[in-house]
Amino acid sequence: MNNQLDFDLLDPQENADGADEVRQLLRSSDLEMDGDIQVFVVARDRSTLVACAGLAGDVVKCVTIAPAYRGTSLARKLINEVQHVATMKRGHNHLFLYTKPHNVPLFEGCGFYKLVSVLDSACLMENTPVGIRDYCEILRSFRHAGKRIGCAVINANPFTLGHLHLVRQALKQCDWLHVFVVSEDASAISYADRLDLVRAGLDGLERLTVHGGSRYLVSKVTFPCYFIKDTCVVEACSTAIDLLLFREFIAPALGITHRFVGTEPFCPLTRKYNQDMHKWLESASGDGPALRVVEIPRLEVAGRPVSASYVRQLLGEGDFEAMATIAPGTTVALLREKYAVRAGRGQRVAQLKSLR
Amino acid sequence: MEITKEAICGTLESNDLLVKVAPRDELEVVISSAVMRQFGARIREVVEETLRKMEVSHGQIMIEDKGGLDCTIRARVQGAVLRGSECGELDWRVL
Repeated sequence: MNNQLDFDLLDPQENADGADEVRQLLRSSDLEMDGDIQVFVVARDRSTLVACAGLAGDVVKCVTIAPAYRGTSLARKLINEVQHVATMKRGHNHLFLYTKPHNVPLFEGCGFYKLVSVLDSACLMENTPVGIRDYCEILRSFRHAGKRIGCAVINANPFTLGHLHLVRQALKQCDWLHVFVVSEDASAISYADRLDLVRAGLDGLERLTVHGGSRYLVSKVTFPCYFIKDTCVVEACSTAIDLLLFREFIAPALGITHRFVGTEPFCPLTRKYNQDMHKWLESASGDGPALRVVEIPRLEVAGRPVSASYVRQLLGEGDFEAMATIAPGTTVALLREKYAVRAGRGQRVAQLKSLR
Repeated sequence: MEITKEAICGTLESNDLLVKVAPRDELEVVISSAVMRQFGARIREVVEETLRKMEVSHGQIMIEDKGGLDCTIRARVQGAVLRGSECGELDWRVL
């Protein structure tokens, strides 16, 4: 029956009927359709939908095959189509895939390799045997000797005096500190600018390395919820994949023993991530050695915790004077130069502010 | 020939192979095969010879082999390299 299958692309945003069909097929395998999927590769037997695989950037997910069509090597054909579409039409040849752990052998037959799995709920794979290996090899060249090797992962959107405080406090407690800047370009300030500001802001401090981020660390691959905060339910967000990747690959490559994080008074999702860190990094069970998670109380200026979101609010209001009390000069200067709100809108914001 | 963009050629069907290429500073050939123990060395030979003839000196060449014959391997590597490079004319005689 496989011979008569037709493969096609389906945009769930544009084709509502098609999206409903996909949703039904997914439901029969206890899967939900994720909101960030841009395109589905679908297989039809005449007019009946029999298999689908979703693509969100470089992530393949929501993959399912109707029960009657399993065991017919349809998975290989489907994944093959997905890889062609992703590479030739979307420029992603390094792909990641989410599946349930019991399906891992199936996708191994399709050229995917296991990264980490969370008990029996989810598993992340990638379509290369050397992806994480090469990344860890690069990391290993930045290893430093020491008893306590720290790590902090920051989005720095943008870099504030709060980040500087976190790094300074962390440095007091370790021999070397690795600072990673989230590389996903999904924030108000571009990744290139965020990285520049972190480097400028930490310039002069010793015993630390600033690293660019990667797909393997707080990215849309490992922690998609972080980038679609508004639309997702905090409790349902899985932080485990991201944290286990850190524990099993990144931390051992750099010899990291401590992960430092600022306390989170505002964002419920970041707060959950911090809590989950204790669970996934510190617990005895797990493939990598256990780490210590150290929460550092957030810096306060004039009785208010310093946050990047407040800096962005001040940017919107054009209040660079107030900004200078919570962000270093390099951050203020760059924001003023590149991100200041243009006249018309700025005036409106200023008016609003004076009304308050 | 210069690999300037990511490209893909082939399938995961039995007797075929999937070849993915991407720009890199060095030449890196990564081979996974269902018949690695028996034919791994031969597959590498064919891939490297094909790359040499096409004058590919750097790039990442990723092979997921499902038991392709030598001629299939050659054709799939050529296909992926051609798609991944912006080359107009091709000297088929040397290939």
